[in-house]
Amino acid sequence: MNNLRNFSIIAHIDHGKSTLADRILEMTGMVRKTSMDQMLDSMDLERERGITIKAKSVRMPYKSADGNEYILNLIDTPGHVDFSYEVSRSLKACEGAVLLVDATQGVEAQTIANANLALDAGLKIIPVINKIDLPNAMIDDCSLQIYTMLGLGIEDILHVSAKDGRGVAELLEAIVERILPPSGSVSDPLKCLIFDSFYDPYRGVIPHLRVFSGHIASGDRIMLKSSEKIFEIEEVGYFSLGLARSEHVQAGEVGYAVALIRDAGEIHVGDTIVAADHPEVPAIPGFRMSQPMVYCGVYPIITSDYAKLGAALEKFKLNDSSVVFEKENSAALGYGYRMGFLGMLHMEIALERLKREYEQDIIATMPSVIYRVFLKDDEILMLDNPSKFPPEGEIDHIEEPIIRTRIIVPSDYVGPCMELSDAKRGVLVGIEHPDDRRAILVYDLPLSEMITDFYDRLKSVSRGYASMDYEMHGYRAGDLVKVDILVNNGAVDALSYIAPKEGAAVRGRALIHKLSKTIPKHLFKIPLQAAIGSQVIAREDIFPRRKDVLAKCYGGDITRKRKLLEKQKEGKKKMKMVGFVEVPQEAFLSLMKIED
Amino acid sequence: MRGLYIHIPFCISKCRYCDFYSLTAVPELLDRYVDALLAEADSYNGGDFDTLYIGGGTPSLLGSERLEKLVNGLSRRFDLEDIRESTIEVNPESAGRDFLATAYSMNIRRVSIGAQSLNAEELRKAGRVHDRRQVLDAVDAALASGFQNISTDVMIGLPGQTAQSLGNTLNIIIGAGVNHISAYCLSIEEGTAFFRCPPPDLPGEDDQASLYESAVDILGAHGFAHYEISNFALPGFKCQHNLNYWRGGEYIGLGPAAASHIGGKRFRNAPCLERYLDDPSSTREEEERLDDRRKVGEEAMLRLRLIEEGLDIKEMAGKYGQTSINSLEARLDDLVSRRLLVRDGHVFRLIPGSVLTSNSVFIDVIG
Repeated sequence: MNNLRNFSIIAHIDHGKSTLADRILEMTGMVRKTSMDQMLDSMDLERERGITIKAKSVRMPYKSADGNEYILNLIDTPGHVDFSYEVSRSLKACEGAVLLVDATQGVEAQTIANANLALDAGLKIIPVINKIDLPNAMIDDCSLQIYTMLGLGIEDILHVSAKDGRGVAELLEAIVERILPPSGSVSDPLKCLIFDSFYDPYRGVIPHLRVFSGHIASGDRIMLKSSEKIFEIEEVGYFSLGLARSEHVQAGEVGYAVALIRDAGEIHVGDTIVAADHPEVPAIPGFRMSQPMVYCGVYPIITSDYAKLGAALEKFKLNDSSVVFEKENSAALGYGYRMGFLGMLHMEIALERLKREYEQDIIATMPSVIYRVFLKDDEILMLDNPSKFPPEGEIDHIEEPIIRTRIIVPSDYVGPCMELSDAKRGVLVGIEHPDDRRAILVYDLPLSEMITDFYDRLKSVSRGYASMDYEMHGYRAGDLVKVDILVNNGAVDALSYIAPKEGAAVRGRALIHKLSKTIPKHLFKIPLQAAIGSQVIAREDIFPRRKDVLAKCYGGDITRKRKLLEKQKEGKKKMKMVGFVEVPQEAFLSLMKIED
Repeated sequence: MRGLYIHIPFCISKCRYCDFYSLTAVPELLDRYVDALLAEADSYNGGDFDTLYIGGGTPSLLGSERLEKLVNGLSRRFDLEDIRESTIEVNPESAGRDFLATAYSMNIRRVSIGAQSLNAEELRKAGRVHDRRQVLDAVDAALASGFQNISTDVMIGLPGQTAQSLGNTLNIIIGAGVNHISAYCLSIEEGTAFFRCPPPDLPGEDDQASLYESAVDILGAHGFAHYEISNFALPGFKCQHNLNYWRGGEYIGLGPAAASHIGGKRFRNAPCLERYLDDPSSTREEEERLDDRRKVGEEAMLRLRLIEEGLDIKEMAGKYGQTSINSLEARLDDLVSRRLLVRDGHVFRLIPGSVLTSNSVFIDVIG
C-alpha cells in the first residue's frame, strides 16, 4: 500500500486539466505520444465543450527517480459547479490533489471552490501553475494569488506546461513524495466508496470504487448502505485505459465492480459498499442523493413520438442517474416529460445527448427552478412548472431558491458587476480584496436569475474577466407573479414563467419582442401577448408573410430548387406545432438572454 | 416534348445581381467556344427536339457569323426539322439589326431581350451596361427584322424601384410591342456584388411583394395571361421551351453550367469554361437519377408553378401510375383543406392571391 498514490487534478474550467492528464498518461507509458488528445474525455460532447462531464479514472505504473515503483491512480473530476457534489465524492477517494492554475488567468472562482472541496476532504494539495509556455504567463502574480487567496505555500508551487510537457516529470515526483499513501487495513471488514458509475448494456451498472478497508473479489456478497440491498460481485478490476479484470481490489486501491445491477437507480455516488455479512460497518459520511435544481419540459416535436421519447429517457437514465423525469401534459405541446437536472450545464448536456446519441427530435421548454408556493389555506406546494401554479388569488406568497455566489473580478469591473448583481435581485453579502487588483464579491442571488442569463451577462460586463462559482443557499420570499404568454390568442402553458412583479411589464415587452423575431412569419397574422392574470402587459403582432416564392425556376435550377425546398422542409420539421403556429425551439428559451 | 438549350456564358460585364455562370468575352475565345459546343453536341449522337433556346450570358455577343456556324452545326448534328419554337436571348447593347436579321434567317423566330428596367437610375444601380434608349431600339430592330414573338425580362425589386417606376417600365415595354414578359423578383444570391455589398435602397420583402402585385395588375390589364409565377404572355405567346421545364419534360443543355434532364437523369456541366474548352463532353457532374417519389414531388412542384394550367392529377397518374400518385394526391388534398390550393375536378392550382407565398405550398408538395 505504501507505493500507492490516489490523486485528482482540480482546476477552473479551461485551465488545462485534460491536457495535463494526457501528458501524465504519456509519461507513465499508458499511451503513446498523443495520437489523440484528451484521452480521459471520452464523450464527444466533452471534447467539444472542452470540459469533463463524467469523472473517470486510470491506474498507471510509475518508476520514480530513486528507482522505486509506484501505482498512481488518477481520478478525473467533473469541472463544473453543477457537479460539485460529484467532485467532492471523487476527491473523497483521493489522498491528494493537483490544483492547476492557468498562468495567464490566475486563481479564479472555481479554483477556490475546488481547493476548498479538497481541503474539506483533507487532501494534500500540490499547487501547479500551468501554461508557462505562453508569452503572457504571469507566474509571479499567480504564485502570489495562490498564497493569498488559497493559503498555500509559494515554495510548494510547481511550474508546468501541460502542452509541451515541461515540469510534468517534476510533478510526478512531487505526487509520490508529497501525497501520502492510503491507510486502511486489508484485514478489516470491507468498506468502499462509490465515486462514479457507468452503464454497460450487458453487465449493468458498474460502480467505480475506492476501497478504504478490507478487499472485494468476485463471489463476494456486498450491501449498499443507503438501500441495504445485497448483490453478488461477478467481477472486479482496475482501470487501465479500459477495464482490467483482477482477482481482487483491496484497501487503498481504486477499481470497479460488476454485480449485474440492472437499475441505475440502485447506485448512487457517495454511497458506501460493505460486506453483506458486516452490515454494521458505518457509512462514509457525506452521502446525499443528487438533488435536481433545474427543471424543464421535454416534448417530442411529433406528438406520436411520445412513447419513443419515454423509452429513450429510460435508457438515458441508466447512463446518467442524476437526471429525473416524469410524465407531463401540456395543453399546448401535448404529452411529454418534466426533466430535472443538477444545473444548467447538466441540462444543456443532457438535452444535447438526447438529441444526438438517442436521436430524439425534441423541444425543451424554458428551465424553471423549484418554487415554494404558500397558499392562503396554509398548504405549501413545491412547484417546478409555472403552468401548474394556482390562480393568484389562492397564493399567499412565494419563496424561491437562492444561491450564494462568489464572483472574482478585476477591480476595474467591480462597478458593472455589482450593478448587474443588483439588477438581478442580488443581495451583497461581502466584498474581499485578496490583492490590489482583484475583488471577490459575495452575493445571494435568486437561482432563477442565474439560470437565465446571469453568467453570460457577467462575462460581458467584465469583458470575460469575471469568474464565478455558487452553492445553494436556501429559500427567500420574493414578490413574484406568473406571466402567461398568448400566441395567436391562445395561452401557451409551456411559455409561462414566474417573474418578479417589479419590472414584469418591461420584461414582458422584451420577451414578446424577442418572440416576434423568433417565431417565423406565417401566412396569417399572429398576435403575441404577455399577461398577468387577465391583464395584458405586452402585445406585438407577427405580420403575415407576403413573399417566399422562388422567382426563377428553369432547367439548371430545378435540382437546386428542389434541394432548397427539401432543406426548408427539414427546418420545418424542427419546429413544434402549437395550434396553427410553427414554433421553433429558440422561442421556448427566449426568456433567457433577453437584453434588458 | 424535348428542348435543346445552348448556354453562351459571355457578358460585357457582370450585373450586380447576377449569379449565372458568365465571363468576359474575347473574340478568339468565342471561336473556340462555338467549336466546343458542336463537339459536345457530337457526343450525343443525334436527337430530335421541339424547341431550341440560345441563352446566356449574352448570346448576342456571338456575332452573326458564329451564330450561323453554331445553328448550322447544330442542325447537322440534331434533327431540328420539327422545331416549334426557337429563341435567342439578346442584350440591348449588342442586339444590332444585323445580328437579329441573321438570327431570323437561321429560323429563329423568338427573341428575348434582357431589359430589366427602363429607369435610368435602376439600370445604373443594377450594373447594366445599356440605357433605356437601347432597349427600345432593340425592340424596334427585332420587329424590323421580322420577329413577331418578342419577350423582355423585367426585374422586380431593383434598388430604388417604386410601383410608379415599375409601372412606367412595363407600360413603355408593352407599348413598344412585346408580347411576352418575364418579371423576376430580384433575389440576392451568394457570390454577387449585391450580396457582398447590399444597396441601401433595396426594397424589402413586403415592398417587393407590393411591386409584384402591381406588376400583375398592370400586365393583367393589358391582356397578358399570368401563366407562370414570373411569366406573362399575350394569347399564343407562352414560351414553349420553358413550359417544357415546368411540365417535367426532357431537355439537353450544352455549354458549361448547362443542365440536362434526359432518360430519367439530371446532370449539369461543370461551371468552368477552361475545362469545357479542353474536353467539352466530359465535364458532367451532379448527376442524379430521381426515384419515383422525388420525381413525382418535383414534377408536381413544377406544374403548380403553371398558375392557369395547374397540375392535372389524372395526367400525372397516366405518367407515373396511380400507386405512385396516391400519396401526392393526399398531400395536395390536405393543402386544399388548408386553403392553400384549389381543386377543380382533377386539376390542382395555386390560389391566385397567394402565388407569392407558394413556397409554403411547395414544401409540402415535394413529399
